Amino acid sequence: MKKVKLLSTLIAFSVMLAGCASSANPQTPAATNSANSGAAAQSAAKPFLTVAYSEGGTTLDPAEANDLTSDTLVLAAYDQLVTYGIKTENGVNLANTEDIQPMLAESWEVSDDNTVYTFKIRPGVTFQSGNPVDAAAVAYSFERVASSSSGSFLYGMASIKSVTAKDDSTVEITLTAPNHMFLQIISMYTFSIVDQKTVEAQGADYLKTNAAGSGPFTLEKWDPATEAVFTPYEDYWQGAAQLGKVTLKFTKEASNRVLLLDKGDVDMAIEIPPKDVSALESNSNLTVASNASNRILYFAMNSKVEPFNNVKVRQAINYAIPYDELLSGVMYGQASQMKSSVASNTPGFTDAGYVYEHNLDKAKELLKEAGYENGFTFDFTLGSGFDDWEDDAVLIQAELAKIGVTMNINKLARAQFLEQQKTHNLTSYISKWTSFVNDPGYHLGFLMYGSGSSNYNNYQNAEVDKLWEQANAEPDQAKREELYKQAQEIITTEAPWAYLYEYNRIVGMSNKISGYAFYPDEVIRFYPLTKQQ
Amino acid sequence: MSTAAQTAQGVPPKPAAPSKPTTLWSLLLHNRLAAVGLAFILLWTVIALIAPWIAPYDPYATDMANKLQPPSAGHWFGTDNFGRDILSRVLYGARISIWTGLIAVAISFFIGVPLGGIAAYYGGRTGTVIMRVMDVLLSFPSLVLSMAIAASIGAGLSSAMIAVGVVGIPEFARLMFGQTVSLREKEYVEASRAIGVKDSVILYRHILPNALAPLLVQATLGMGFAILTASSLSFLGLGVKPPIAEWGAMISEGREYIISGQWWLVTFPGLSIATSILGFNLLGDGFRDVLDPRLRSGK
Repeated sequence: MKKVKLLSTLIAFSVMLAGCASSANPQTPAATNSANSGAAAQSAAKPFLTVAYSEGGTTLDPAEANDLTSDTLVLAAYDQLVTYGIKTENGVNLANTEDIQPMLAESWEVSDDNTVYTFKIRPGVTFQSGNPVDAAAVAYSFERVASSSSGSFLYGMASIKSVTAKDDSTVEITLTAPNHMFLQIISMYTFSIVDQKTVEAQGADYLKTNAAGSGPFTLEKWDPATEAVFTPYEDYWQGAAQLGKVTLKFTKEASNRVLLLDKGDVDMAIEIPPKDVSALESNSNLTVASNASNRILYFAMNSKVEPFNNVKVRQAINYAIPYDELLSGVMYGQASQMKSSVASNTPGFTDAGYVYEHNLDKAKELLKEAGYENGFTFDFTLGSGFDDWEDDAVLIQAELAKIGVTMNINKLARAQFLEQQKTHNLTSYISKWTSFVNDPGYHLGFLMYGSGSSNYNNYQNAEVDKLWEQANAEPDQAKREELYKQAQEIITTEAPWAYLYEYNRIVGMSNKISGYAFYPDEVIRFYPLTKQQ
Repeated sequence: MSTAAQTAQGVPPKPAAPSKPTTLWSLLLHNRLAAVGLAFILLWTVIALIAPWIAPYDPYATDMANKLQPPSAGHWFGTDNFGRDILSRVLYGARISIWTGLIAVAISFFIGVPLGGIAAYYGGRTGTVIMRVMDVLLSFPSLVLSMAIAASIGAGLSSAMIAVGVVGIPEFARLMFGQTVSLREKEYVEASRAIGVKDSVILYRHILPNALAPLLVQATLGMGFAILTASSLSFLGLGVKPPIAEWGAMISEGREYIISGQWWLVTFPGLSIATSILGFNLLGDGFRDVLDPRLRSGK
């Protein structure tokens, strides 16, 4: 009898748990469902889009999002004050990050001293909840960024001093000093405008797993392990999206994404391995968009750790990297050579000071001058998740062995690697970087400025810091670029990194898809996409 | 294991042998499957020992001009994505796998057997605590537990060995426990105790030798398990560090190339894992058949 009781209690308990789980699912609030049932009938006739993504995202909070999938989800559900324009080069649509276009702000004015921006909010725009988009919501959204852990650095980088709602449709943003990057930074997903009333009603954690924006798509479901589903917001101020439904399928294995795309099970796939590009190109149903991006890959050497505190040792490593093998053998030509700490398609780029080539004799000579004639042994940390990193590491290891240098490869899972990187204690590692604002000030500020938040290999040079600070305060574009060029030359000569390559951004898609544009932040905007049925 | 019984029954009755085999080895060699298993093990052990002399190429020499070459006269097993010779890497991989298996089983054996013996011999609270801890270890799926251990002490070959070794401890402990429980009541053990022989001596001199047969079977089967688990850890990135040639790691590195048609990157290390594990399992089953008197008398 006792056992039966226990069993029935257990069953009852598990049923309760199951009940909790389904009702706790925050992605399907009843209100949204009923509001959308009419819309669902309309959108049924529109084509559905399915995209294979590599990762499932970590948060839906615009101020905290900091990975490609989270950023993509945020940009589908939210609008920003202003956004980037589009240009066409050689028949390819690209974002033009210097061309700032109105979005939720209909227009804006800048004071004569370039420190006060007054934005006029577009009238009649509503959040997906039905609440109006007003100046108070904008001010609230900016405050959230200021107090966030991820976005606050950008807030500082944009030099924002205060954000005030002057009246319902006017927002005044005051800067601490003129900042040429301000409009480019507030176009980012971080500065998405959130529905203040909904967030305040639902509590602070609501935005982590729910979207409350005015963007073109309503989030129906988000499960980081499997998929995210969007349906169009029918009252979107630019008109409802052309797609009836957008599904992101989270598919970790690159080969699976390639198979799904090749067999027509998904319409688009991101992060296609370079080796599979030629096979996909031979499929007549597919187009492979491979664009030079500003995503760079570098081999970082910790300037505070022996022997990499010696410039000559770092230069020697630069001479030992088999650059051509990395480009052709590992990347199958889907990358280009990197010759500065800044990507070559960033305004103000210079390859001044770049003298490195694969030359083991020169490398040995430099090691001898540095007092490491017999080589040395060092630890290298390899973050998992990117096949090309491991291939690069093995090839570099083989070359270094030829000059007597032993490189111990320690593999870490991606999450652990990112944690370890933040300690500033890794001796050496490979890492990628994409500057969402394609500007050397933004880029070097993170990576090479002495106290830059991502300067994990402890590069310190007083002159570089001074040039960067000078450039940031310099209103004249040409003069500013000149200062950045001087900084790049010093950096390249001092070689805190070995420059590996600049990636192509590879997206494979069905020929039925049109409207794709490439953005430096690598996020696909779904709103402009259309699909033939 | 049911396979053991099937194997034993599957062996056809032998024609009248000229002389009835009596020693362990001759019995074993008359069990055809066990002999096949032994042959595989000997083959891989010899390869592991002489790999540097028989490998046609340096297993770590990259040659990007000749990458992803299919099997040919120059490269019997083809080349991988760095142009390294897969045959040479498979041969060197045997060293890692056999060595990992030996060390891991040694860890399981030398920790598990004393624990099981002590738990059974003394019984009481000590025994209960030890055996409950073993039960806890057993309650985890072995690969999950070894992953947890390897991840917490850091990836690398030695941590993989330790992880696989620790996971194998409870099997040995339980086996030794069962044996000791029955042996400690035997007259010769009671006699030794009566004349004042120390407990440790009784356990080592009188109980262990009589409990050895099943432990030997377990150790042989455990080798196969250890090789597989260590390869799985390497496959998952928790085992050897690049560029070490290890079968599981080779499969992991090669799996991206299956859909583009380069089957040889994974096939040859896969076959190596399969044959070496098959060898240890067949031999283990053979040992069991030979050492179990009930099965033997049936023939």
